Amino acid sequence: MTYQEKKLSQRIAEIKKAEVVKSFCYSCPWNCPTEVYVRDGKVVYVKGNEDAPNNIGTRCSKGMASWWITQDPDRVKYPMLRTNPKGERGEFKRISWDEAFDFIAGKLKDIAKKYGPEAVALTCHHDPNTQFYRHLLSDLYGSPNMYAHTSGCEQDRRSACLTIFGHVFPMHDFANSKYIMLWGMNMLGANQGLFESRGILEAKKNGAKVVVIDPSFTETAQKADEWLPVQPGTDGALALAMCKVIIDDNLYDREFVAAHCEGFDGFRDHLNDKGYTPEWAAEICGIDADTIRRIAREFATTKPAISAIFKGSGYYTNGHDAGRACYILDALTGQVDGVGNLHLKDWAPVGNPVDIPDDAKTAPKKDPLHVAMGYPLAPDLPNSRLPEAVIDGKPYPVKGLFVHSTNPVMSDPDRDRVMEMFKHLELAVACEVLMSETALECDIVLPETSFYEMAEVRQGLWLGAEAIICQPAIDPVGESKPPYEIVQGIAKKMGWGKHFAYKTWEDWAATATAGLPGGLEALKEKGFWSAPPEYNKVGKGLETKTGKIEIYSHAYADAGHNPYPEYVERSVHPDDEYPLQVTHSKLSMHCNIVTQNNPMLMEICPENWVEINSADALKYGIRDDQMVVIESPKDNITIRAKVVEGLVPGCVSIRHGHGFGHWAMGSVAKGKGAHSNNLMEIHTNPVTGANCYNECKVRVRPA
Amino acid sequence: MQHGFYFDMDLCVKCHACEIACKTWNEVEAGPRWREVVKVESGTYPNVKAMNVSMACMHCGDAPCQKACPVSAITKRAEDGIVVVDQNTCIGCGFCVWACPFNAPQLTSVAGKMQKCNFCQTPGTERPLDMPRACEEVCPTGAIKSGSLAKLAQQNREKTARRLGANKGMSGFPSVVLDAQSTFGPDTSGK
Repeated sequence: MTYQEKKLSQRIAEIKKAEVVKSFCYSCPWNCPTEVYVRDGKVVYVKGNEDAPNNIGTRCSKGMASWWITQDPDRVKYPMLRTNPKGERGEFKRISWDEAFDFIAGKLKDIAKKYGPEAVALTCHHDPNTQFYRHLLSDLYGSPNMYAHTSGCEQDRRSACLTIFGHVFPMHDFANSKYIMLWGMNMLGANQGLFESRGILEAKKNGAKVVVIDPSFTETAQKADEWLPVQPGTDGALALAMCKVIIDDNLYDREFVAAHCEGFDGFRDHLNDKGYTPEWAAEICGIDADTIRRIAREFATTKPAISAIFKGSGYYTNGHDAGRACYILDALTGQVDGVGNLHLKDWAPVGNPVDIPDDAKTAPKKDPLHVAMGYPLAPDLPNSRLPEAVIDGKPYPVKGLFVHSTNPVMSDPDRDRVMEMFKHLELAVACEVLMSETALECDIVLPETSFYEMAEVRQGLWLGAEAIICQPAIDPVGESKPPYEIVQGIAKKMGWGKHFAYKTWEDWAATATAGLPGGLEALKEKGFWSAPPEYNKVGKGLETKTGKIEIYSHAYADAGHNPYPEYVERSVHPDDEYPLQVTHSKLSMHCNIVTQNNPMLMEICPENWVEINSADALKYGIRDDQMVVIESPKDNITIRAKVVEGLVPGCVSIRHGHGFGHWAMGSVAKGKGAHSNNLMEIHTNPVTGANCYNECKVRVRPA
Repeated sequence: MQHGFYFDMDLCVKCHACEIACKTWNEVEAGPRWREVVKVESGTYPNVKAMNVSMACMHCGDAPCQKACPVSAITKRAEDGIVVVDQNTCIGCGFCVWACPFNAPQLTSVAGKMQKCNFCQTPGTERPLDMPRACEEVCPTGAIKSGSLAKLAQQNREKTARRLGANKGMSGFPSVVLDAQSTFGPDTSGK
């Protein structure tokens, strides 16, 4: 092999005198496959896996900078037990792992005896390693309350996908599309699914039109052919009017709708009965009726096309139906799961890491919390209602909480209430890499390894079926342990050790990957396994009640909701006293709370800010780059203002409120920017249980 | 053969990965920014435009920093045109910062010496010139290219030719029209 024929990774390994470990990144949930370069037990470089279709060797800034966590001096290194009463800022003493496991097992037994195992809940971040906690706390212990983070994220989208397409996580074949309509979805600005970001730009190069519907002129709007500056929380009205135009003009795909969609005739009548005309929508959403007609016609007549949503059309109490209406546009035009469409992602055959036999399992005696709370269609815990369960015992008491790769004190609305909640827990366990604000409210803090120090096997977020593997590149920092060892330790103390009998990570990983071609060895060697995307699965039957695309949602009807999406105004409107609506937007170099203790990323973006339109800035006497006070009826924050043109007047856009403004965590993160979640009262989407972060009105003045 | 960068602002999404890759590969501490992505906005609501530019040392043909340096610490390598600074000779006076039109020289380090993009030629971790630079390698959208100026010019000509072909509706090219900003829209001329 000549020098020129060597792969880039080999050449980099030679220059850096390093070993290459195939792995994946967990700076965000998109998990790009990576190569980690290790020399003398230290990470010296990281690169994307050039064979992987997700990122073809590239990274984003978050992932590129993520090696810092392996040498961050602020890492939690030992198990820590609280020494002072709850409600005060936590003080902790170092304990041994054996003491930690004893403490947790004792409390778990105690809670099961006093309240039943349903009183223990887990919140995590869809991290497959939390599967170990699920096997322990759900299968064996008997709690149905194993949840992820989605109600603070794309809960409305997920609920729309599930009820219409019977699929939890559609992705987007942007690269092959000719017309891309993005509703409150800043793909290029968030820059997480790199193949999707690249796909939008590739589509543009190939002549596709990109339309961005968003109150903010986002990084994606910047590249779009048209930006429709919609009023916040009115996407549903706009999308429903577009549906009506497409039906009235006979531009829908008759054959597709007849063969694959449930409830078309009723939907047409519903639109007529409600009078969802472009003129009606124009009054609400601020986009003129001619533009609504034109875009609807362009969308319906240019194929392949995608109408896609993520978080932005959610975050309001009407976000569930906005999401459904945006997806029905795909259904009406037959643009579902074909080349260049919304893609009902294929799944790889990844199994459970351990097998718990049925006779060892404990069946829960109570409904899971989301059902008991009255949100049967919630794809995840309505976590804005969790404080009610903990503090007031409604719908039933929750006394134990495991917090894993989430930080509810920073991420959930109404911070005061969340902090109050922790006082009422008899067992609060934080599994953490840094001493987060949530960890400080807990009884016990378990130091977890970072993704550079542990193994994990999971579904890759690419169009086709994909399995990816994270392999330990370096030794654990301090006494930190990976989740599979932590769960094993607790399980032994509970008398369930035999179900977690693995000696090395390869033992359980071999079980999880048994169904994959080549099994674990091939996966370790290549870093991922993928199959080409399968298209046109719609005709094969979907996982909805009717097996069809449900424009008429039986799930909604069965739960007592309107089976057709309707437009209901959001809950909070600006008034004379608080004249501005709050919206939120992300930053490309920060991901919630993951990135704020990283000096490289903080150098690029050391604080968050609020954006305000120049007309509003003039009205309220705000200069660009000035510190301002934002007051809501509930609280106030001081934050830097950026005066912009690219924002609908009458609202402010707070950049990344869920991450900045750490008051305790991290020597780099602490004191930077403003934490805005305490501005919000708790508003929960009535169907999906999503946190409605944008249901908030404020006023602003110079600080 | 003079080497340099080619940058496509149509593709840059301002993700800043290039800055971090540069820092990581060349082991640059916090403070000096050899590469930086800058966003420029114009227009008034709702007609807004913005573009992103990732900037580093341009390795100028007639480098003003080199001329300004009173101690001859800056040299332009004869074989590839890369402009490098000798850390042992540099006195950190900052004349180069004044002279450079791109603010490429960085004087923010504690050591007080000027440092800047060296085309990934940091001693001990030099990238051969037939490899991509770290910033180019990491870029998720392919906005940064590096190489000899002859190679970059050729690539750019091909890109322009494709656009012209597309504009003429040639077979094998997508049917699009161009506006002055080189953005694309669906061809509606035939409808």
